[in-house]
Amino acid sequence: MIQACISFGLLLIALYGAPLFTVILASALFGFYRAEIDLQVVAVEVYRLAEMPVLSAIPFFTFAGYLLGESKAPQRLVRITDALLGWMPGGLAIVALCACALFTAFTGASGVTIVALGALLFPALQNSGYKDSFGLGLITTSGSLGLLFAPSLPLILYGVVAQQMGLDIPVSIDDLFLAGILPGLLMVFALSAYSIWQGRGLPQSTSRFDRAEAWAAIKDSAWEIPLPFLVLGGIYGGFFAVSDAAAVTALYALVVIVFIRREVTFKNLPKVMQESMMLVGAIMVILGVSLASTNYMIDAEIPTKIFDFIRAHIDSKYTFLILLTLFLLVLGMMLDIFSAIVIMVPIILPIAIGYGLHPVHLGILFLANMQLGYFTPPVGMNLFIASFRFNRPVMELYKATIPFFVILLACVLVITYWEGLSLVLL
Amino acid sequence: MQTLVNKALRGIHAVEEGVLALLLLSMIVLASLDIFLRMFTGGGLVWVSPLIRIMVLWLGLLGALLATRDNQHISIDILSRVLGDALRRWAQAFTSLFAAVVCGVTAWYSIEFVQGSFEYQDEVMSGVPAWPLQIVIPLSFAMMSLRFALHSAGYVFVKNYRKLAGPEQATTQEGDA
Repeated sequence: MIQACISFGLLLIALYGAPLFTVILASALFGFYRAEIDLQVVAVEVYRLAEMPVLSAIPFFTFAGYLLGESKAPQRLVRITDALLGWMPGGLAIVALCACALFTAFTGASGVTIVALGALLFPALQNSGYKDSFGLGLITTSGSLGLLFAPSLPLILYGVVAQQMGLDIPVSIDDLFLAGILPGLLMVFALSAYSIWQGRGLPQSTSRFDRAEAWAAIKDSAWEIPLPFLVLGGIYGGFFAVSDAAAVTALYALVVIVFIRREVTFKNLPKVMQESMMLVGAIMVILGVSLASTNYMIDAEIPTKIFDFIRAHIDSKYTFLILLTLFLLVLGMMLDIFSAIVIMVPIILPIAIGYGLHPVHLGILFLANMQLGYFTPPVGMNLFIASFRFNRPVMELYKATIPFFVILLACVLVITYWEGLSLVLL
Repeated sequence: MQTLVNKALRGIHAVEEGVLALLLLSMIVLASLDIFLRMFTGGGLVWVSPLIRIMVLWLGLLGALLATRDNQHISIDILSRVLGDALRRWAQAFTSLFAAVVCGVTAWYSIEFVQGSFEYQDEVMSGVPAWPLQIVIPLSFAMMSLRFALHSAGYVFVKNYRKLAGPEQATTQEGDA
């Protein structure tokens, strides 16, 4: 009874806006207190943050992403994708999709994409004759597209959390990076097909492939082009561990943007560092305290109890997957992706494994659902960021994103039920 | 008095920001150097990898401390938006107070943890004691507790504290009037 009251109270406090990490911390402290375990254990768990070699990838990639976002890299990215892909039917929309996916993969889907790229792409889409609603929907949707591509932070974080759980099937981050490729491409292709269909009948804005412009755009981006090859080639080729690739990326971005291009000055550099490390701190402190609460939950066998309860009502893996999808959609709408991973994966993963899911596949479908949650009405975060950025009422964005939502929901279902799509490359 | 407090605050902020920048830059340089040596000379520096892991902890907690200063922590904040301005201020004062208490309790027990580590002479590597590196945990939680308490008082006593307290963080949904 007391336990139920406390849980309800904590939930209420969370919904009224208390920092999430303090709510998790409070529940862990309370749980350990009831179990008569010395509360020092919380500090022991937080200290475990210093025992995960792969964790350094998070500050490194985040810093590199923020630096890229502060530079003129977004403009160059749009220019080069336009020069290379703009000639296709529905070209500009496809440009937008590809540029956003690449940018999100490198910066983590924290709304940066909408702010940094949306401002360039939305007017361009308007000018080439697309309807406003299509442009708005596309940009809002693209803000989280690319989440499944390496080296996105959510993929890394899922790997970190899963590795803490000592599963029989190991979950390596390299495997997650491979597994995300085809499901991510499926989403990009599906949205591209829709864009081509929407763009039919529009006058071709950028007429033909312009070799001179393509070459100029490539030269313009000469410093950024090696970056994806360095990271992806390095990791997929087995030259780098993920944390090494992250360190090299951070160094490379720092040298190129601050020393060579000088688009972020020495004076502004500390500010970029602070902003990026605030995000890192916010994620890490949630991760740290969740290690404690997860430890308590596993001691109390909570995932096993939930599994037994669900198992008593649902036999089939497929019914379970439907319920999981619904649950994750709501979760993705309410919680940001980082907290969702850190809090829910330790509970869901053992249950999903009980139903015979592969942990890597679960990771991909979990993130695919979260991606959708970013713009699920009524409270998906990107809807509000886009509404703020483009100064449109949120209702208009609800309407604009509906077709995109339906398409990506179909993709998510394919990803959920077709395990091979994620696992074939492993 | 006012200026003295401001000066002290600015001093504290400068120290935090300086340490943060120094940590991040040295991590990037050290990690890259280690990779470079491993690739081209066949042997890296053995102490780099454990050092970086500790630095990640420091960086993360320091980042969290800065996030506390600017009210940038991840939160859900759905219900307080339906409240009126006055009630909302009280809700924020209360949640900040709650955060202050929770961080305070954690800081207290973290001190015991570090004391234990000191008494048992835990080591990170042979010859390197662990407790000076662990001290960041009680320190950061104590300072977060203090900051949350100040936020709480701010919401109660200072008009328009929200705007003074720093930008709204991204997950509290902007533009939603």
